[in-house]
This record gives sequence, structure tokens and C-alpha cells, in this order.
Amino acid sequence: MEMDDETTVFTTLKSFHAFIGRPDLPKEPSEQPIGGSNLQTRYTQAMEMLEAAEKVRSLTEANHLDQEKMQLELSHKRARYDLEKVASDSARHLEHELDRNQELQERIKRLEQREEDSAKTHSEQLQTNRALHKNLHDLKKKVDERDMTISTTNQTISSLKDEIRELKQTIQKQDCTILAKNLENQSLQEQLDQLCRKRQEVNQLCQSHQSSQNSLSEHEIKIKELERRLYLQDQDIALVKTTRSHAAKVQDLDKEVCHLREDNAYLRGCIKNTGLLKEEVIEMRNKLARMEKTKEDFRLNEKLQVWENLGQSTGLNIRKPEDLSREVIQIQQREMALKEENNVLSIRMRSTDRSKCQLQGETLQQRSKALEELKKKEAQDSLVRRLQKRVLLLSTERDGMRAILESYDSELAHTEYSPQLNMRLRAAEDIVRKTQNHNAEMEAQLNKAQEETGTLKLKLKTVSVQQKIEDGERERQRLEQRNYILEMRYQGDFDPVQTRVLHFKLNPTDVAKQQRQQEMEALRAEVTCLREHLRSLKGAGSLSSQDNPNTVSQALSLCLPPSQEVLGNDLRKQLESSQMKNQRLREVFQTKIQEFRIACYMLMGYQVDITTENHYRLTSVYAEHMDDSLVFKKEFALSSPGPPTTLVTFRGKG
Amino acid sequence: MTSTLKGITLKGSAELVAEFFSFGINSILYQRGIYPPETFSRVTQYDMSLHLTTDDKLKTYLTNVVSQLKEWLFDCTVQKLVLVVTCLETNEVLERWQFDIECDKSAKELSAPREKSLKVIQDEIRSVIRQVTATVTFMPLLDTACAFDLLVYTDKDLMVPEKWEESGPQIIHQSEVVALRSFTTSIHKVSSMVAYKRTDSA
Repeated sequence: MEMDDETTVFTTLKSFHAFIGRPDLPKEPSEQPIGGSNLQTRYTQAMEMLEAAEKVRSLTEANHLDQEKMQLELSHKRARYDLEKVASDSARHLEHELDRNQELQERIKRLEQREEDSAKTHSEQLQTNRALHKNLHDLKKKVDERDMTISTTNQTISSLKDEIRELKQTIQKQDCTILAKNLENQSLQEQLDQLCRKRQEVNQLCQSHQSSQNSLSEHEIKIKELERRLYLQDQDIALVKTTRSHAAKVQDLDKEVCHLREDNAYLRGCIKNTGLLKEEVIEMRNKLARMEKTKEDFRLNEKLQVWENLGQSTGLNIRKPEDLSREVIQIQQREMALKEENNVLSIRMRSTDRSKCQLQGETLQQRSKALEELKKKEAQDSLVRRLQKRVLLLSTERDGMRAILESYDSELAHTEYSPQLNMRLRAAEDIVRKTQNHNAEMEAQLNKAQEETGTLKLKLKTVSVQQKIEDGERERQRLEQRNYILEMRYQGDFDPVQTRVLHFKLNPTDVAKQQRQQEMEALRAEVTCLREHLRSLKGAGSLSSQDNPNTVSQALSLCLPPSQEVLGNDLRKQLESSQMKNQRLREVFQTKIQEFRIACYMLMGYQVDITTENHYRLTSVYAEHMDDSLVFKKEFALSSPGPPTTLVTFRGKG
Repeated sequence: MTSTLKGITLKGSAELVAEFFSFGINSILYQRGIYPPETFSRVTQYDMSLHLTTDDKLKTYLTNVVSQLKEWLFDCTVQKLVLVVTCLETNEVLERWQFDIECDKSAKELSAPREKSLKVIQDEIRSVIRQVTATVTFMPLLDTACAFDLLVYTDKDLMVPEKWEESGPQIIHQSEVVALRSFTTSIHKVSSMVAYKRTDSA
């Protein structure tokens, strides 16, 4: 630096000297025109000025150098200070290094000791290792054996699992069938209930019907009774009338009464006589009874004698009752034989009767046939008569014709008119034929007319029967109406002849009934709809249960009626909102608990974390290293959950 | 109301009786629980608290029937009014509230008002309605859904109006009958009775 400064000073000096040295040469020509003195002065002046300038420059340079010197001194001082500082630092470092060295040496020593220890332990461990290897080998063998057994057991387990799976499948199938059966059962039970209800209703109706019939019969009986009473009353009225007519005859009766009183007195006398006579009669009766008794005794005696003489009278050998019984048996046998004969005869008689009846029927039929035949014959006779008449008419006509022909013949010659005659003959024959045809037609018409009359008669009969039936029906209706009227009259409610019962058409009962019916119909429609759904579901279920159970639920959700779908949507919305709420709460809890933990850590200096279940990690702010931590494990006593007690490990560095 | 304090005309009598029927039917429907009690509102009539329906359909039905009945009462052609309570499940008649009406047909010719004060008539009506209320204590409970119908017994020669039709008497088989009080306006006499189906326990 100083060298640089010096070089600059020297260069400036050199350049100045060069400047001064150079003008010396050109000055001579220029000084000459001006004059020598002037040039000298000017030269001196310039020199003076140069000197002054050099002085100023040297002064500034000196100042500059002084400043530089000061700066250099300062830098020197600073360098020195720094050097001293560095020296002291290095000395301190050295000391520190020495200390460390010593420490390290101690550590090395410790480590060497440890190495020795570890070598010892290593050899021990090797020995133990060998023993363990042996053990391991044994254990491996055992494990192999166990593996073998395990594999066999696994095989059996797998086979058993297969069986279980099959059984589960069968169980599921059975469950399905049970469910189906249950559903069927429910539906059947519902039907049963409905039928039961219907049956009850029908029973009730039957009962009410029976009761009404009973009441009707009672009413009829009552009506009859009333009519009877009415009849009796009529009779009474007739009686009253007769009594009234009798009352008119009271005077005559009074006279009669007098007569009768007299008669009475006479009759009283008679009664006394009759009393006496009655007593006599009683006595006579007693006598008669006694006589009858004696008579009976006589009769018995006579009978005894007859019995005793029976053997003699009959000529049989009857001495004892046994003989009699034998005889009786014989007689009975004979009677039996006779009865049999009688029966046979009666049977024959009956058969003959039957045949007779049949024959009578046949004769009747024959007679009716004969009658018919006779009728036919008569009809035919009449026909024949008519035809004979016609024939007569025709013959007369023919005769007339013949007469005409003959007159023609007489008038004209034979030869000329033979063709005309032939013509006429033919014409006449045609007419005869026509008439015959006409006759046949007429007969056919007659037959037809007869048949028609027969059918008409039948129709007439049926019409009359129908009319009778209608009349009967009308009569029945009239009687029913009368019965109703009488019933109403009897019940005292109203007289249908004079009164009519009216009600408003749109009355609440009818409206309610209509509503009820509509509801019933709607319910029925819903039931049928649901049944169809169920059926379709069953169909879908049987198909899809083999593939995937989720599809069943899908199908279920698809086939749900709209009301349930809406309900499902509502539920889904509720679920979503609750899930959202849950999540928000979780987030808030997380942030808050983090805050709390950080606050605890800052305030207390300790932080507890749960690494896994029942493991707690305690980290301290005062630990040497951030990773230093204590891990505690909690041993659960089910009865008394105490604080985590067992210290498990110590983790950390340094 | 044409009836004065001292006398009563045929028209006034018809109106009074029709009014009685309107209130009587309403209170029977309330007391027997045929319509829910919350559809009734309290009013004061005949110096007592009565219930009138607020159900619009029922109101129109009752006004239709009562107005027609008023006409018939004025013509003296009505013989009976019967309120029939029917079980909707079994279509069985359970109750029959019968009001026999005796009309004095001579009032049609003679236009002179009868001498009976309104107060006395209303007292009689009040006692009838009180008795109707009291009968609820012994009548069997209607524990099924029921509906009611009004039957009007008229003279046979009457023309049947357009909205009306003939009906059966709907008599109860095996019934218990309780005769209630009667009242008279001196032109119309209304005697009431109730018949109800005999229950097995009774």
C-alpha cells in the first residue's frame, strides 16, 4: 500500500519533472519575440507557483499519509486484539480438548472394561446359545410333530367347516322355508279369523232370524187368539141380543116361575121318594153283587167239571196238564203249517191281484186306444162321408158332362167330334185328378189343424196354471203386507195404513255407512296390492337369495310403497344430519383437547400420550433430549382400576 | 216467535217444538258420545247450559230436517220423531229415542191463540231435556262406532218431499223401554221415551 502510494507520488513527480524539462526547448523561439526579462519573470513566477503547488501537494500528501498511518495503527491494534483473543480462545479450547481427552480416555478405559465383561458374557452366552440351539433343535422336532398334528387337525377342521357350511346352508334354506310357512300360516290365520268373524256374524244373523221367526210365530198365535176372542165377543154379543129378547118375555116367565114353583114343590116330594128308592136300589145292588159272586162260583165249578171231563168229551187221552200241553203243541204245529199254506195262498192271491191290476191298466189303455181308434174311425167316417158327398157331386157333374156330351153327340156325328171328346175327357180327368189332390191337401190341413188344436189346448192349460200361480203370488204378497200391518199394529209402533215413516236421504247413518264401505274397499285394494308385492318379492327373493342377499334388500327397498319410501328418505336425512353433527363435535373436541394438552405441557412441563391401549408415554419439557420419554403400562385389575403402576421401558438418547 | 207471554198460536207452537227438537237432538248426540265432545260448543237455552254442534255437515243436516219438521208441525201431519242410533259394524239398532207428537188439528181452523205462557212451556221442556241428560247414567255404554238417523212418522196422505224417502221403523228386538216426561204447548203434545237394546248382563 505504501509502495503504491510512493509510486503514485513518484509518478506525479516524474511527470512534473518531464513537464518542466520539456518547455525548455520550445521556450527559446517564443522568448525571443517577447523579450528576455519578461520571460525570466514569468519563469520565476511559474516556478514559484509550482513550488507553492508542490508544497500544498506535499502538505496534503503528508496529511494523507498521517491518516493512513493512523489507520494502519488502528488496524494493527485490532489485529493484535483479535490475535490475542484467538490465542486465548485456542488456549481455552486446548484446555477443553485436554479435558475431553481425559474424559474420553476414561471412557475408553470403561469401555475396555465393559468389552472384557461383554466378552465374558459373550462366551457365556455362546455356551448358553449352544444349549439353546440344542433345545431349539428338540423344540423344532416337537414343533414339526405338532405341525403334523395341526395339519391333520386343520384338515379335519376344514372338513368339519365344510360340513358346518353345508349345515348352515341347509339351516338357511330351512329358515327360508319356515319364514314362508310362517307367512302362509299368518295369512291362513287371518283368513281363519275372517271366516270365524263371518261365521259369528252368520250365527248372530241366524239367531236373530230364529228369534224373529219365533216372535213372528208368537205374534201369529197372538193374532189368532185375538181373532178367536173377537169371535167369542161376537158370540157374546149374539147372546146379549138373545137375552134382551128374553127380557121382553119376563112377564110370561114370571107366570112360568109360579108354575115352576108349584112343580118344584111337587118335585121336592118326588125327591124324597127318590131318596127312599135310591136306598132300596143300593140294597138291591148289594144283593145283586152277592148273587153274582155265587154265580161266578157256580161257573168255576162248572168249568172245573168241564176240564175234568175234557178227556172224555174230546176223545183224547188227556189226563195230565203235560198231555194237554203236548196236544196244544201239536195243534200249534198244525196251525203253523196251515198258516204257511195260508201265506202261500195269500202271496199267490196278491200276485194274481197285481197281474189283475196290470191287466186292468192294460185294458184301460186298450180301451182308451180303442176310444181313440173309434174317434179316428169317426173322423175318417166323416171324411169318407164328405168324400162320398164330393164323389156324388162329381158324379153328378160327370153325369151332367156326359149328358152334355151326349147331347153334343146326338147333335154331331161321331167321327167329327171324337178329338174334341177326347180333349174334354182329358180335361175332365184332369179336373178329377185336381180334385183328388185338393182332397189330399184338405186332409193334410185337417190333420195339421187337429195337431194345432192339441198344442193350443196344452198352451191354454199352461197359461191357466201360470195365471193360478200368479194369483197365488199376489195373494201371498197381499197376505204378507197384511201380516206386516198387523205386526206393526200389534207392536203399537204405528199403523202402516195411516202412517208412513220418512227420513232424510242424506242422513248421517247412510253417509257413515258409505264412508265405511269406501274405506273397506280401499283397504281391500291395498291388501291385494301388498299381496302382489309380497308375491313378487317372494319370486325375486327365491331367485336372488342364491346370488346375493343385498339384492333382496334392494328389491325390498325398491318395492316399498311410496309412503314407506318417504319415511325412509326422512330417516336417511336424519341419519345424515346426526352424522354431520357427530363429525363436527369430534373436530371441536380434537382442537380443544389439543389446546388443553399443549396448555398442560406448557404449564406443568409434562405430556402424557397414549401409544397403544394401556400404554402411556410421559415426556418432559425438562428432559435432556426431545425424544426422552418414560413408558408406563397399566395392568388392569377388573375389580379396582388403579393408576398405571408398572414402568416398562426408558427410551431416549445421551 | 209469535207466541206472547200469555197465549200461543199454531205457528209459535210449531217453532217452539222444532226448537226443542233441535236442542234435544244436539244434547242426545253430545250425551251419548255419537260425535266427539270437542265438536260441541256451550250455549244457554231454557235457563240451562246446553251443547250445540259446530260440525258443519251435521249442522246443515239438522237445519234441513228441523225446518221440514217445522212445516209438518204447522200442518199437523207429523206423528212421531225418532232418533235411531245404529252400530256401524253390525248395522244393529242400539237405541231409539222416540218423541210422540199429538197435534190438536182443531188449531188449524181456529186461529185464536191458546192460553199457556211461554215460561211454563219452557219449564216443561227444560225438565224433559234434564231427564234426557239423566238417562245417560243407566243406559249401556256405546263402545262401538255409531251413527244416527232421524225418522219422521207422518200421515199417509202427505207428499214425500224431494230429498226425503220412505224408511223402515228400525225397531229394536229385545229392548228395554223407559218412558220419559212429556210437555205440551196446548197445541202440540210431545211425549218422549227411549228404547235401548237389552245387553246380556242386564
